[in-house]
Amino acid sequence: MERCGCGERDVGSVRGYIHSVETMGTVDNGGIRFVLFMQGCAMRCAFCQNPDTWLRRGREVIVARVMREILDYRPFFEASGGGVTVSGGEPLLQHRFVRALFEECGRCGIHRALDTAGYCKYGDFASVLDSTDLLLFSVKAVDEEKHVRLTGVKNDVILANLRLAASRHMDIVVRYVLIPTINDSRQDLHDIAGLVASLPGRARADILPYNRMGIVKWKQLGLDCALEGVPEPTADDLARARRVFHEHSVNLRTD
Amino acid sequence: MDDCYSGFSGTAWRERIDVRDFIMGNYEPYEGDGSFLRSPTRRTKALWEKCLALLAEERRRGGVYAVDARTVAGITNHPPGYIDQDLEIIVGLQTGEPLKRAINPWGGIRMVEMACNEYGADLEPTVCEIFHRYRRTHNDGVFSVYTDEMRALRRCGVITGLPDAYGRGRIIGDYRRVPLYGVDRLIEEKRSDLRSPGLTTITVDTIRLREEVHDQIQALEELEEMARSYGYDISRPARSAREAFQWLYFGYLGAIKQQNGAAMSLGRTSTFLDIYLGRDLRGGAITEEEAQELVDDFVIKLRMARQLRTRSYDELFAGDPLWVTESIGGMAGDGRPLVTKTSFRMLQALYNLGPAPEPNLTVLWSKDLPRPFKEFACRVSYDTSSIQYENDDLMRPIFGDDYAIACCVSAMKVGKEMQFFGARSNLPKALLLTLNGGLDEISGAKVAPEVFRVKEEPLEFSPVWDAFTKMLGWLAGKYVDTMNVIHYMHDKYAYESLEMSLHDTHVGRFMAFGIAGLSVLADSFSAIKYARVSPRLDSRGIATGFDVEGDFPKFGNNDDRVDSIARDCVVLFDTKLKEHPAYRDARHTLSILTITSNVVYGKMTGSTPDGRMGGEPFAPGANPMHGRDTHGAVASLASVAKIPYGHALDGISYTFSITPAALGKTPPEAVSNLAGLIDGYFARDGHHMNVNVFRRETLIDAMEHPEKYPQLTIRVSGYAVNFVRLTREQQEEVLARTIFER
Repeated sequence: MERCGCGERDVGSVRGYIHSVETMGTVDNGGIRFVLFMQGCAMRCAFCQNPDTWLRRGREVIVARVMREILDYRPFFEASGGGVTVSGGEPLLQHRFVRALFEECGRCGIHRALDTAGYCKYGDFASVLDSTDLLLFSVKAVDEEKHVRLTGVKNDVILANLRLAASRHMDIVVRYVLIPTINDSRQDLHDIAGLVASLPGRARADILPYNRMGIVKWKQLGLDCALEGVPEPTADDLARARRVFHEHSVNLRTD
Repeated sequence: MDDCYSGFSGTAWRERIDVRDFIMGNYEPYEGDGSFLRSPTRRTKALWEKCLALLAEERRRGGVYAVDARTVAGITNHPPGYIDQDLEIIVGLQTGEPLKRAINPWGGIRMVEMACNEYGADLEPTVCEIFHRYRRTHNDGVFSVYTDEMRALRRCGVITGLPDAYGRGRIIGDYRRVPLYGVDRLIEEKRSDLRSPGLTTITVDTIRLREEVHDQIQALEELEEMARSYGYDISRPARSAREAFQWLYFGYLGAIKQQNGAAMSLGRTSTFLDIYLGRDLRGGAITEEEAQELVDDFVIKLRMARQLRTRSYDELFAGDPLWVTESIGGMAGDGRPLVTKTSFRMLQALYNLGPAPEPNLTVLWSKDLPRPFKEFACRVSYDTSSIQYENDDLMRPIFGDDYAIACCVSAMKVGKEMQFFGARSNLPKALLLTLNGGLDEISGAKVAPEVFRVKEEPLEFSPVWDAFTKMLGWLAGKYVDTMNVIHYMHDKYAYESLEMSLHDTHVGRFMAFGIAGLSVLADSFSAIKYARVSPRLDSRGIATGFDVEGDFPKFGNNDDRVDSIARDCVVLFDTKLKEHPAYRDARHTLSILTITSNVVYGKMTGSTPDGRMGGEPFAPGANPMHGRDTHGAVASLASVAKIPYGHALDGISYTFSITPAALGKTPPEAVSNLAGLIDGYFARDGHHMNVNVFRRETLIDAMEHPEKYPQLTIRVSGYAVNFVRLTREQQEEVLARTIFER
């Protein structure tokens, strides 16, 4: 089964920079997933769990090599309905690599999920979407001013990219990290739920509770964490957020 | 007789002893889910409450409730005992009182004396006198012939944990024969074997076998007598499900009354018992509630079984295990799943009674098992961390479809094969002996020949590997010799006559060797090969530390550069062992399993070239070293799956721990992922997987507040333990293990 010709073509030599791999990704979506964390990100989210992926250094790999490893895990994907997830960092900063990898996965029938914040040129984004089965699209805030405060960048490109992706009627999960006192006001929740409801196609949403695990990494990197005193959301906070999405008739991934 | 068999089909099993034929002709595969299962009855709850109180008292008394230090263990030596006669539907205890431990000097009187001393019991002086002066024990037999070399190897810990002072175990009586045939028929068959040509031509071998069969017949007679003391006549076959459970349990009880083997496993009984339950359910004699009640009561009995051990034994095999291993599921040779409703009922007992280490529930997993059963088992794992999984698709072609697991990972055909248990060899220590010219790095004593000698310069892979190969060749010879001595003496002085009476007279034998510290060994060679390892020598010229410069591939990351070294080490040792003939023409097998001895072995082993400090624990079984598997669980499993089962036929143990959240966002998702993980691992020819689903915080809290977690169960290497019964050191080692989380 390793011999489906993958990794033998020219695309196999496309280079990328990765931070790490996790061979048992399960939290992102269905099945056991090989998660490739790409290095580098242009955003500076205050709640980032992987600030160690921000800078563009890391381990250099080529597509063929990564494919060999992925194919090795195929029995696990097949048994669990899993596949490959490319995350980061921001994978779209290395869209050529991701596209080549996804094309190879596609040739071998391996399910492909892209975990992105969508902050890039639409052309680059679209080139990857052609070979993506599931788009995990993270929206940090709908209100522009709030977005700038949280991430350091404006969200106009991001929201435009989300709409364009949705117009392809592909499988999309819009992910929203719920951060108490930061983006969980009634208005915030109506904004994000309304946004998902307004998308063409049938995008689902996933509410991710903010967790403080990332703070350790911030400290290790000598960074000041802006969210130092912010608590994790309670079960009640999450239930309240879920209700708002339901008010907008948005399906949650866990529904 | 006829009314015992009414409703049963088939003829072959009636004509000869053939439990498998009975099962194949009569069992009903079940492909549905667990929705038919019932909660415990009020009676079950009341009985289990009494047991919980007794178990709490046992913990309060330091782990041993009471010792009967006057009566020597035997099938009929203790009076009938009850937990609460009015509440019990299955009866029988090892001694006159629940949790009271018997003394069993046949394996060794010194162990009994030590244990009695440690637990404050006054050992009957006549017992000491008899076993010191008049009756030789297994332990004395072994030490009367051990050579100086064997003693030195044993003392320095390169071969250790050997069953030379206690019962060897790892023998599974086919306890199903008792209900199916009744004891009279079994005796009759043994008598007819004694008259057969194979046993009437007199040679040294047949003299021994004739004496053994004579002892087997006597044991069966005693078993019948023991059952009679409880008011049951097991000379005839069982007539009902309740009798089938009771008869089968009497068979097992007789075995654990007579022997204190390290692991005395139950076999593969659920689907057999299901046939009796099915007949009674169809006939309206019992309800589903009552069927579950029988299973629960049986499980309660298995949870109350005890043996008297010493504290040093507990270090090797922590948590007071008996390995009452019950193998569940698997596929039949004809393609039908061997899953029945009683496979579910047996797992359901973990809900009805709460989690517990015993019986050691082992799911024989095939890719073809019905999906609802896979999900049910994984759900039970998710909720209780009390199940282990073994690859039926890997074992079935070798052992057929009526094998069971003894202890943790040792497969054998039930009633047709047995094994000579041989603990394990500490191979990282063997590497240090290689480097240090045969000197023990701790004591400095000369225990092995000099095949190499380190200098204060970086180690080169090829010369070290060549020298290690020579050392393993030598060590393998000594290991086989030592095992031959041990099992000769065990057969002679502590023969398991009841267990063996529930085997065919002519049995297949395995001699099961073992490796401890495989990942340390592989990483050490990897360090030597891919990094720069410079030994630091002490005044004796012994390497007591290693400076490692640069990085090197580590076992557990699906990296062939080091995984192939692990594989080569296993193949090498297995091959070398097979060069030396084993006692009674046993077939050599090898396990990668440590139980909890990885802590003790680590303690006895100096610093190793992989950067592990002297005294630090090894990883359990075939696990990668703690914290070195950095690519996630699947990569870790992929590395372990590369160890070839054909060269480690006594099992390759992998213990897997993960947090609930890392396994999946919702319980159904987690359960499905777990099933996928097992399927994926076994599709890669992985052999065994212990599954733990827990949060580190739970274990830490349990260390601080043990009283809150009386039933917290975790899987260690091939078995499960009550976490709160581990020593602090062992608890810390469990915490240090990789717990996959995100």
